[in-house]
Amino acid sequence: MSENRFAHLMLLPAGLWLLLLFLAPLGIVFAVSLGATDPLYQAVYGWNPGNFVDVFDPLFAPVLLRSVGFALATVVLCLLIGYPIAYYIARFGGRWKTLLIAVVVLPFLVNYLVRTYAWVAILSDEGLVNGILDTLKLSETGVQFVNTPYAVIGGLVYGYLAFMILPLYAALDRMDPSLIEAGKDLYGSRWQTFWHVTWPAAFQGVAAGCVLVFLPAVGDFISAQLLGGPGTYMVGNLIQQQFLEAQNWPFGAALTAVMMAFLLIWMSIYLRSAARASREARA
Amino acid sequence: MSPNGAKQNGEAIRFEGVTKRFGDTTAVDDLNLTIRSGEFFSLLGPSGCGKTTTLRMVAGFEQPTEGSVHLAGEPVEDVPPYRRNVNTVFQSYALFEHLDVEGNVAFGLKRRKVDKDEIRSRVAEALELVQLTGREHSKPAQLSGGQMQRVALARALVNQPSVLLLDEPLGALDLKLRKQMQVELKEIQREVGITFLYVTHDQEEALAMSDRIAVMDQGVVQQSGPPEEIYETPQKTFVAGFIGVSNLLPATVEDGGIRLATGQLVHATVPTDCPAGTSVHCSVRPEKIILEDLEDGMVSLEGEIVERIYLGTTTQVILELGPNLRVISLEQNTDRSRADDRWEIGERIKVGWRPEHALVLR
Amino acid sequence: MSTQGWAERLPVLGRRATRRRRRRRGFDRPRFLRAFFWIFMFFTFAPLAIVALFSFNSTPSLQQFDGFSLQWYDEFLSSATLRESLMASVEIGLVTMVVGTVLGTTLAFALVRARSRVAQASNLVMLIPLVTPEIVAGASALVLFAQIGIELSLATIMIAEITFSISFVTVIVRARLSALNREVEEAALDLGATRMQTIRLIVLPALWPAILAAGLLIFALSFDDFVIAFFTTGESPTPLPVQIYSSIRFGVRPTINAIGTSMLLISFLILAVAVLLPRLLGRREEENVLIGRDAA
Repeated sequence: MSENRFAHLMLLPAGLWLLLLFLAPLGIVFAVSLGATDPLYQAVYGWNPGNFVDVFDPLFAPVLLRSVGFALATVVLCLLIGYPIAYYIARFGGRWKTLLIAVVVLPFLVNYLVRTYAWVAILSDEGLVNGILDTLKLSETGVQFVNTPYAVIGGLVYGYLAFMILPLYAALDRMDPSLIEAGKDLYGSRWQTFWHVTWPAAFQGVAAGCVLVFLPAVGDFISAQLLGGPGTYMVGNLIQQQFLEAQNWPFGAALTAVMMAFLLIWMSIYLRSAARASREARA
Repeated sequence: MSPNGAKQNGEAIRFEGVTKRFGDTTAVDDLNLTIRSGEFFSLLGPSGCGKTTTLRMVAGFEQPTEGSVHLAGEPVEDVPPYRRNVNTVFQSYALFEHLDVEGNVAFGLKRRKVDKDEIRSRVAEALELVQLTGREHSKPAQLSGGQMQRVALARALVNQPSVLLLDEPLGALDLKLRKQMQVELKEIQREVGITFLYVTHDQEEALAMSDRIAVMDQGVVQQSGPPEEIYETPQKTFVAGFIGVSNLLPATVEDGGIRLATGQLVHATVPTDCPAGTSVHCSVRPEKIILEDLEDGMVSLEGEIVERIYLGTTTQVILELGPNLRVISLEQNTDRSRADDRWEIGERIKVGWRPEHALVLR
Repeated sequence: MSTQGWAERLPVLGRRATRRRRRRRGFDRPRFLRAFFWIFMFFTFAPLAIVALFSFNSTPSLQQFDGFSLQWYDEFLSSATLRESLMASVEIGLVTMVVGTVLGTTLAFALVRARSRVAQASNLVMLIPLVTPEIVAGASALVLFAQIGIELSLATIMIAEITFSISFVTVIVRARLSALNREVEEAALDLGATRMQTIRLIVLPALWPAILAAGLLIFALSFDDFVIAFFTTGESPTPLPVQIYSSIRFGVRPTINAIGTSMLLISFLILAVAVLLPRLLGRREEENVLIGRDAA
């Protein structure tokens, strides 16, 4: 058997699996999103594009906007916190570099749920922080940390920070420090050096990190569920609700489809600009 | 060790109209060649000339787009590499890193389910042939380049193939080791009697080792024959230029000879397919160029010395016969011990050669 | 030390930073970065340390540590439900690891060796699960099982987890596979090994570190996974993360500390195995090389 034919044979097991158990379900979701529920709360196929209109209904639109907003805030914070860390290790880590980055990433290997729960334990009304405030008599009734947007965003940041740090570190580590010296000679001004030398190299890492944080953050519902309340619901909570509580699958599917579409658009924008960037870099 | 499956004094490999195309590129173009069994045959040419592709078609890693390859008289299109009685020594040695030397050499025999005791004796024999006895349990990572090369050779030879294919096997070795291996390979081939098909871009290597050479360029065999023939009587400008150093003087054919670009008409044997007016090259080997001590009947020109290069055993003198018309002359330093013993740069001296040493080529 | 160049980054991000909080102005020395680094380490490890600490608390309090006790661990391990959940998670992890690794490795092989438009399309299909948000993954799996009529159980979780693990394995194994020297495989074929024998004797031995790493990764991912499991789980047993989630919703706090700390330890354990195993197995080869190496 020729090599090519053999290789194509190897394509079958996983290929079929993904086709039937990944692509097909996505198609079914789309079909369901156009469906409706019958009195028994079973999803029935049909042509109800109204489901998609409902997605943007004033009742739910704030949830969508909030999801995007929270996700963006998460990206910004992850960037602010992650960049100095990645830079510090890449630039000053020396031979401990790999160890340092491993140790930094270590907490993020723990189950996301457990990590979020940790913050719940600390920030809740019966939690550690309020306990300390109480002991130090700094507050009478305790401070409401949880059930606020800040807690949710904080949870999101704590959840996805590693996805920002790692690509940033990879990009910064790859950069040659002598380029900065050369840049300072060439450009004179520190600002110019940054803009022309440092930024282009770091940018790829920044872009990758932003995408890797933004995409999952938009769809996240654990932080909002545990650290927030109905006032801080995100799209993820809504979808989860529709599927598992309200049994309104068509609407849930519509939400899912809209979210998928939204993310795919950003994904393709990123991929195209990344491809363009690497083509330019090669040239 | 004697080869199996080979017809003694018969043909080992035959290419009939073999063409290989990759998309729009033609790597091998209408190749017709017969390689006799027991021969040391080299495919010589620059990168991209199609020699490696040709080798791979014999091994079975590529299939011809047109034409057919025959091994021992039988066509082999449908035969996969693992069923051909052919073994390859790869340029990168391609040893199995996780097996030791013995495991590597025994690999082919184990595939053929050869009896364990016979494996052991044949492996020992093969290692002795390549002078690696005692290194059975070393891993490739512990070996030097030259040693890895020998293991690759032993691994191929132990199977007693009818043809051994070698793809630029000495390319990664340093000069001294390479020269040493060239001699060893030639000796091994003579001892074992297997047909060797050798691919290289190093023309000196091909000249030193081969019984016959095929010079290839852009997928086409330019000339094939014994080394002396290729060197002394190249039939194409490309061959003359590729093999050894050659002076190629542009000229035009006229009645009775050729007119050089210097304006002189010299006598030379003109091939019958070059009518008057044809643009040709007059090819003269540097060692055939004589300076100053010309005799009657020789072609005689005048040139100015522009460079003088002392190479130890020889001295190279570069002379300008006319604008953009230079020749290189090579002389043995038998009577000389310093470079500047004889010629001064800027001197104008007589340059010449025997008419029979000049070839008119297209 | 050319850290001065880096201070220039400030104006770009400083604009955004001042809109939210005022921090990090005028740093141009590693001293500041170092301090920031250690503060960062504190804040990332502290929550986990606190959970671990309070898991040994003798009282249910989350505010003060009253004494050392293993009662919460006892409660965790003596609860049949929780024990079952732990076992369920381990089962899910193991099955996903085995099936996902096999599927992912064959796919990696196909993507590296096959040349055709089908192969290119497959590459794209393989990448999509990596960027699919977990909630979409969970929802679509749920919809699939419902429409086909399969009852939710551990098996449905496994199927969903495998689906989204394949891509991780493929990416990891493919990287290693494409780095292998093709001539070595050709040598094997040349010496009489069939394609299957070549894969078994030559390719797999070279590939196993990547396969092992990928397997451990997807074990950890599926063991820890919450969202997909949440959507595709049956009544009982539910995997541990789902159990934790329900518990948190009901506010049963102290035992969760113990569960959380246990999961933490398991994650670190898997990581340790992933890092040390190849080194241990590779050390033997290294030693041979060092001992046997002589000038040749």
